[in-house]
Amino acid sequence: MFTRPTWRSRTLYQVLATVLVLPFLLPLLWIVAISFEGAGAVVNYTAVVTQTPFLSFVVNSLIISIGTVGLVFASTMLAGYALGKLHFHGRELIFTAILAGLMLPAVALVVPLFTIVKTLGLFNNYLAVILPLTAGLLPMTILLTRNFVKGIPDELLDAARIDGATSFGALTRIVIPLSRPIIAVVIVWAFLNSWNEFFLPLVFLQSTSMQVITQIPTYFTSTYGSDVPKIFAALVLMCLPIVIGYLSFQKFFERGLTAGAIK
Amino acid sequence: MSQQLASTTGAPAAARRHRRRRDRLTAYLYLIPALMLVVGIVYFGVLYNLWVSTLDWNGISPNPAAVGPGNYLKIARDPIFWGALSHIAIFGAITIVVQMAVGLLLALVFNGPVVGRAVYKAIVFIPVVLAPAAVSTAFRQFLRPDGQVNDVLSALGLGAFQQAWVADPDVALYALAAVNIFQWTGFSFILYQAALSQIEQSHLEAAQIDGAGTWRTVRHIVVPQLRPTHLTLILTGVIGSLKTFDIVYLITGGGPGRSTEFLTTYIYKQSILQFHVGYGAALSIVMLLLALVLTVVQTHLYKLDREV
Repeated sequence: MFTRPTWRSRTLYQVLATVLVLPFLLPLLWIVAISFEGAGAVVNYTAVVTQTPFLSFVVNSLIISIGTVGLVFASTMLAGYALGKLHFHGRELIFTAILAGLMLPAVALVVPLFTIVKTLGLFNNYLAVILPLTAGLLPMTILLTRNFVKGIPDELLDAARIDGATSFGALTRIVIPLSRPIIAVVIVWAFLNSWNEFFLPLVFLQSTSMQVITQIPTYFTSTYGSDVPKIFAALVLMCLPIVIGYLSFQKFFERGLTAGAIK
Repeated sequence: MSQQLASTTGAPAAARRHRRRRDRLTAYLYLIPALMLVVGIVYFGVLYNLWVSTLDWNGISPNPAAVGPGNYLKIARDPIFWGALSHIAIFGAITIVVQMAVGLLLALVFNGPVVGRAVYKAIVFIPVVLAPAAVSTAFRQFLRPDGQVNDVLSALGLGAFQQAWVADPDVALYALAAVNIFQWTGFSFILYQAALSQIEQSHLEAAQIDGAGTWRTVRHIVVPQLRPTHLTLILTGVIGSLKTFDIVYLITGGGPGRSTEFLTTYIYKQSILQFHVGYGAALSIVMLLLALVLTVVQTHLYKLDREV
């Protein structure tokens, strides 16, 4: 297989690759195909967008995703910079303490989260999803960012400081521009996780006006019974932005999703 | 002159000392948002779970009864809990093994002379970026007795293998594993692909010239060199199985009966739907301990392996 390919081995590879990819391709095609069935594509998609709260679900998901990405980005850059470049007592301890949150699944925190949300009156409030999501994402993003920032040469930061930059100035003018590769990973990771999050909205966002796109299937099934083609039209619409995003920024998505595993 | 020299060398040192002191304060300041979120939610959450797990509480009553280790003793005798553990183990074993095998196979095949490799690669990876909620909803339809999966089987002449999939308590868990494999194989594929590109092409070619067949090259040269990737995938796979919620909740809801109950779905039902908050908290603590032990054991093995 590693020698110069003959015509026969080329054919063999092509056939093998095609057969192997079918189990992944077929379900994707079915999703699209079913969304065209029944009353037809135009009717299905128009109905989803105009006769259901689909758009408000999208807006809610966008607000939660943008809020989470913003909060993750800001807290990660500040913490990653402090842990990677600044000197202070207890640095390793704090780093370890943050990392320990890495493996905790949100479901295992549902009882305390429920109490926090109830006490602060945050039911049907975006924060009830944004804050726990951010807390769950931070250990990973801080680990990646801290390791990356650590690799930035001290001379660059010292030079900036001698030129009179504050430590915050060094962060915004040196660290952030140099960390663009890891920032892209952090943003993709945070966006994907918040856009696709199902559990937290399920528990904390129950009023229809606050629901998010991952709740569309459940909402539709309970409201429209088994109008399967329309449900699938909604699935296509909810997956489309992510698929387009992936196809446009393949490298960042692949790196973003696997970065945690490789480190 | 000499004094001037001293002051010019002394000034930056003093300034640096001053800066260091200020940096220390700013460092703590910069850590506040992250610490508030992680400590305030994760650490507080674990402690709160610990406390609530010693109560017989419905989440509302102002004075819950303290039951000490009562909830934990109940867990030890709870067949649903043990059932959930065995479901996670079976689900985890199947998904990890298949995702690794198929992911590696895909990486090896796509490494060969394949026209349109980028398209093939994208198709395999797209399920990874989709919301599990969307994939689950789609598969609930595909796996119906009159669904697409059974159609394909009968078209292939494999009609005998048709199943009621998620409606059959003997099959539902395997159907869930299949959905998980569909969604996550792209992940192991990408990791293997990255690792393969690190292996010296000459190693592979040498084996070939020595007359080693393709299969032997893969077995004796490629597979051992991919060891770190295997371990990473096992680690993420084990934790992933423990965390799985969306596809179980949306496809089978833990049923039929309790045949696909996972720890996550059981915690959700106990804590949120049935108001057994004390019991739910105790289950959560057991789950956290499991995640912790599994992670520590595996990272330890991982380190040992690296030293060897």
